[in-house]
Amino acid sequence: MVIERPWKRWVYFYIPLTLFVIGTLFPFYWMLITAIRPDAELYRSWRAVNNAPFWTLHPTLEHFRDLFEKTTFPHWLWNTFFIAVISTGISLFCGLLAGYALARLKFPMAGALGTSIFVTYLVPPTLLFIPLADIIRNFQLGNTPWALILTYPTFLIPFCTWLLMGYFKTIPKELEECARIDGATRFGAMVRIIFPIAVPGILSAGIFAFTLSWNEFIYALVFLSSPERKTVPVGVVSEMIRGDIYFWGQLMAGALLGSIPVALVYSFFVEYYVTGLTGSVKG
Amino acid sequence: MATAYLLLAPATVLLLGMLAYPLGWEVWISFTDFSPLNDHGPRFVGLENYRHLLADAEFWRAVVVTVGFAAATTLAKLALGVAFALLLARPFRGRTLVFLAIFLPWAYPASVSVIGWYWTLSPPIPTAYSPFMGTLKYTVDGALGGGAWAFLSVTLFNIWRGSSFIGVFLLAGINAVPPELFECALLESRSAWRRFWLVTVPLLRPFLALAVFLSLTTAFADLANVWLLTAGRVVFPVVGTQAYWLAIKGGQFGPASALSLMLVPFLLAVLALLFRAFDPPAEARA
Repeated sequence: MVIERPWKRWVYFYIPLTLFVIGTLFPFYWMLITAIRPDAELYRSWRAVNNAPFWTLHPTLEHFRDLFEKTTFPHWLWNTFFIAVISTGISLFCGLLAGYALARLKFPMAGALGTSIFVTYLVPPTLLFIPLADIIRNFQLGNTPWALILTYPTFLIPFCTWLLMGYFKTIPKELEECARIDGATRFGAMVRIIFPIAVPGILSAGIFAFTLSWNEFIYALVFLSSPERKTVPVGVVSEMIRGDIYFWGQLMAGALLGSIPVALVYSFFVEYYVTGLTGSVKG
Repeated sequence: MATAYLLLAPATVLLLGMLAYPLGWEVWISFTDFSPLNDHGPRFVGLENYRHLLADAEFWRAVVVTVGFAAATTLAKLALGVAFALLLARPFRGRTLVFLAIFLPWAYPASVSVIGWYWTLSPPIPTAYSPFMGTLKYTVDGALGGGAWAFLSVTLFNIWRGSSFIGVFLLAGINAVPPELFECALLESRSAWRRFWLVTVPLLRPFLALAVFLSLTTAFADLANVWLLTAGRVVFPVVGTQAYWLAIKGGQFGPASALSLMLVPFLLAVLALLFRAFDPPAEARA
């Protein structure tokens, strides 16, 4: 921002910016308003008197109550959480070890292996869901959380590995060498010296993985079938839209509640997230 | 050396088992008439599935839509993402709020926020502006042909969601550049436009390459969002939704595999182009 006259700053910067912020946040506001609007108001003609489309004077929590009492929403929350935590854990574990090896150890084919792990990140789920559906069926994992816990790492590991590899490269080698001279094993130095320093990178990778698995849709849609086994993204869409009937109030209530964990994770860690990304690309 | 392989083992085993093996299986199945509905196992039919596809007008329509969709969204996402990153790179009043507005669309589960969009763009019950949106839809469809409105809304949604990730990703990239370089540039040239093209873009090269990459692959493969916004209806066929119909709803694994493998040449072309135009990301970081 070059120093200018204040009114210019407003016209060229703050006013467009405000419009933009309102625009991007509007769908969220719209979901909130729909979720707390009573049914009588939701399904009223737009010509009705006192119609206020953009706000409501009679907010209600009825839809949220219905969500917990009449649907299997609590199950979905737990399923999603369970699957996201375990698959994030698996991917972080694999990513940490692989990232460390690729960043620090010298061995034949290191470069090729690094590139190929990275390239696997670019294999889209659209290519994979057909064969995976068959594998899941053969192992009789269909309709269990394990179907997702095993498949999510396919897109989580490559990114975690790539991010952590970059982060490890920013940590000076001397630190580790000192530890080795003091008698630590390679493994000991890795766990006690390098991993603690890499915490921002690890957090960043973890947040990324957690969000991706929380939000994943295609695999969850294909591999899970019974209502109480579903995850939030799939459950909300498939159980609250029956044929052409949309349970708008509950749909929006579910949409809001279902994303609170992710929103919380981000509001606490977003600066870490950016720092972690920066660290990993600097290396 | 043994340690290295030991450390790489978990990742490699999982990726081989859940990624390489399925891909290989898919290639094999695309040459067969495999279907879980058949009594017999997969039977080799050669290039039959592919020949069938190439003669299918619906397939070509899906290809055109997919490629157009990928190109349009990637361009828009990249432009917006760069703008977001440059905006967030400097302090100003209200930055936190803007950061939130930019980041939330990506952090929010797509399948859920898509409902908010669906509701915003095509209000299905009598709301104040549903007549207006209805008219808009018919005007757009009338002017550009059926399905244009669906295309537009999916594109908008994809941009809304994707540009936010690219923005944050590029912001991380800008943070990694020593600020002295930008200060030097400020002394060299007064034109912000020139500084942008001569300093910012080259410095961000590896990030831009990766962003284009991710954007294109997700757009080519954007099955979920299209599915959600159009409920998989035929107005908006992309290769992904067609494959989903064939495989999961129709049980036709052979033709569906062939169909989704048709994406590979496109992906490889993009990959080759980017590796040529930019340094590969793995090396550029060193």
